[in-house]
Amino acid sequence: MRTSEPRASLPGLARAALLLPVALAGMAFLACTRGRPSPERAEQVFRFRMHEDPPTLDPALSNDQFSEAVILNVHRGLVELDPETLEIRPAVADSWTISPDNRVYTFHLRDGVRFHNGRPVTSQDVAYSLRRLLKKETRSPRRFLLEPIEGAQEFTDGTSDAVRGLATPNDRTVVLRLARPFAPFLSELTMANAAVLPREVYDDPQKAYLRAPVGCGPFRFGRWEQSNFIELLAFDGYYGGRPALDRAVIRMIENKTSALQEYIAGGLDSLDETPDENDTAMMAKVGQEVHKYPFMGTGYIGFNLSLPPFKGNAALRKAFNYAVDKKYLWEVLIPGGNIPANGIIPPGIPGHDKDLPGYPHDEAKARSFLAQAGYPAGKGLPPVALWVNTGEGNRQIASQIQTDLKTIGVTIVIREVDWAAYIAAVSGTKDNAGQAQMFRFGWYLDYPDADAILRPLLHSSNWGPAGNFGRYKNPEFDALVDKALAVTDPKERAELYRRAETIAVMDDAVWIFLNYYQASTLYKPYVKGVVLSPLGEFRLPLERLRIERGTH
Amino acid sequence: MPVLLAAATIVWIFVFFLPGDPARLIAGGQAADPEVLETIRHEWGLDRPAPIQYMTYLGKLLRFDLGSSYIQARSVVSIIAEHFPPTFILAMAAVVLAAVSGLVLGSLAALHRGRLLDSSILILALLGTSMPVFWLGLILMLLFASRLSWLPVLGYGMEGAVIPFTAIRLPEWDHLVLPAVTLSLVSMGTIARITRASLIEAGTADFLQTARAKGASGARVFARHALQNALIPVVTVVGLDFASLLGGAVATEYVFAWPGLGKTIVRAIGLRDLPVVEGGVLFLTGVFVLVSLVIDLLYLVLDPRIHYSPTA
Repeated sequence: MRTSEPRASLPGLARAALLLPVALAGMAFLACTRGRPSPERAEQVFRFRMHEDPPTLDPALSNDQFSEAVILNVHRGLVELDPETLEIRPAVADSWTISPDNRVYTFHLRDGVRFHNGRPVTSQDVAYSLRRLLKKETRSPRRFLLEPIEGAQEFTDGTSDAVRGLATPNDRTVVLRLARPFAPFLSELTMANAAVLPREVYDDPQKAYLRAPVGCGPFRFGRWEQSNFIELLAFDGYYGGRPALDRAVIRMIENKTSALQEYIAGGLDSLDETPDENDTAMMAKVGQEVHKYPFMGTGYIGFNLSLPPFKGNAALRKAFNYAVDKKYLWEVLIPGGNIPANGIIPPGIPGHDKDLPGYPHDEAKARSFLAQAGYPAGKGLPPVALWVNTGEGNRQIASQIQTDLKTIGVTIVIREVDWAAYIAAVSGTKDNAGQAQMFRFGWYLDYPDADAILRPLLHSSNWGPAGNFGRYKNPEFDALVDKALAVTDPKERAELYRRAETIAVMDDAVWIFLNYYQASTLYKPYVKGVVLSPLGEFRLPLERLRIERGTH
Repeated sequence: MPVLLAAATIVWIFVFFLPGDPARLIAGGQAADPEVLETIRHEWGLDRPAPIQYMTYLGKLLRFDLGSSYIQARSVVSIIAEHFPPTFILAMAAVVLAAVSGLVLGSLAALHRGRLLDSSILILALLGTSMPVFWLGLILMLLFASRLSWLPVLGYGMEGAVIPFTAIRLPEWDHLVLPAVTLSLVSMGTIARITRASLIEAGTADFLQTARAKGASGARVFARHALQNALIPVVTVVGLDFASLLGGAVATEYVFAWPGLGKTIVRAIGLRDLPVVEGGVLFLTGVFVLVSLVIDLLYLVLDPRIHYSPTA
């Protein structure tokens, strides 16, 4: 009954009740007006974003770009890769010699290198770190980097207590003897996994080093709040001189839109993602701060050569290649990023062949090869499953490939699953070829050497779940890649890789060769000393950066 | 206890049947060393038969051992201890905001039933309930942080105070405002509507007529009789909202880069960090049970007619 409503008789109480949200709003206002730190500050701080926390900060376990972004600024190995020129430079070792037979590497350690705990670095630390990487118990996904060292495998297997090819004649010298010449060996030693570690920290059974790593790099570890930030602090005792930055803060922000807003608001000095080029409003705000540069990596659609219909049918694989319009994909549909690929070895890597014909879009050729493969106009070819892991970019690429292949009469079914399920479907086992007939992958080279892409993805020694998911096996290809390992003349090596690539691309059409990567990063104009590294946006040599506000 | 056991079993079954191999993700993903893979599988017991894995899991639970994260190589308890406080603070702030504003708006709507204010509040409540949190969060971020620069865009902040004798760091308070308001708007709508309905229903009750007949003032009738009676369903909603926000604020945590437990569990699912998924979900189940118990006990305070007897 409306007469029983108490509404008009309680104005005082209603007003009192109204005060509560007003008070809360007032608190919020006070919070707002507290203000954020002034952008003008003497302290040199560089803030950049990662999508998520690094999976590990143990150099031996590192296998991803986020972990390496931190590790390579906290640690140093015997040698390092200049992220700009890609030359191998001295690091903890200030010089080295290689024997005429290319098997013995003698490193002379630099004077005055200290760990962040103050202790000088000796050759014993180098030996400890390399043995640790090889130990089975360490479970390193990259112990293969040191396998060329004589006796490495026996040490890992536990049949030998020492690594035969590893010696420390004195505190300042390390000698590594290889079982046979291995051209990319120095490059492999530049990897984060080969960092020099202090034994007293890394023998800790409680593994405190996982959250408080100690190295001899330009930055010492500050704080790590999971899902929030990592803070690195300048190391005063760094052998290369104290960095200009006082601190570097890595902020974990998954969502791209939020990260872009934070960058615009000034909460980040750099961002590894840029706005969509079609977003004119956003580009008007930050377009001048976008930096684009080649990135050593190749994107592809793999064919499973152990499964029908691709098994033993190179003509079908060629038909698929010609049908996909890579130019449209990277210049119209997803512009501003990747470059259409004509092969496997990306530009800038010795062995890259810009004259390799590849498979430019050609519908007539695609139809012709399809008929040659036994499926004229797609007749008789059952739907083919293309697997991708979850993500907007992958979805766009897969849809375009589906559309392109539809034009020649091929039906593609897209299977989009999360990363773990995807890897399981694609990798299979030694005895099981997996479920994926076609799958999308990208591969970023660990170091600038064609071996770093041809061997892990296509050599038969990595057949199946070890990385060669397409299950490609061609003895001629294998022989060329193996031969190149022992050749030290750069021109001769590059030629061997070119020949190997031609076989995999033009004869066997092992993938759909989609793109060479291009990185795209935002930097505020006051960040100076920026290095746009072909090793990727997370290969940031923080010691070279400085903040110069008010100078632009 | 039976609820927790059932939850533990259901979570284990779901996690067990997830496609993908956690060992492979650790061992290098795309190019994993088969020997390393085998070592990891053996160490984690993933190569054992399912019943043995299940019994091992239950055995550990009985010893209050939630195990260690595959990825972070530290105990699940320490991960929960790090990520639950940010979630708890966010959920608490959101629920307080939602409860206060919902009660006020619901009361105003009831007091002005059928008028413009009532209709406006109902529309606002409907909007609050129906707007997706993900979208709403971005809109508030764009407006109050990007355009007006009143508040930080996102994050928990780096310099909040640490609670003495703990490792728990509070957020910087200005960072809390946007995510808390985003979350609260959804609950606020529901609370406002329930408050309004309950007050209107209570307003028709005989005891209010009696109170008025005995000469009680309008304010006293409202506060002591109408509002208190209307609070029981509101408390239920607030309590359940709070409990579900503790685990279900994932979208808000994602938009505002808030280092909460919900986001941690979702990420653990993607990485197949199974102990974190199992431990995190079980912990949240326990919290849900606890909050439900607190709600039941609150009924005793709010309504003297309610009492729990041991034989009931």
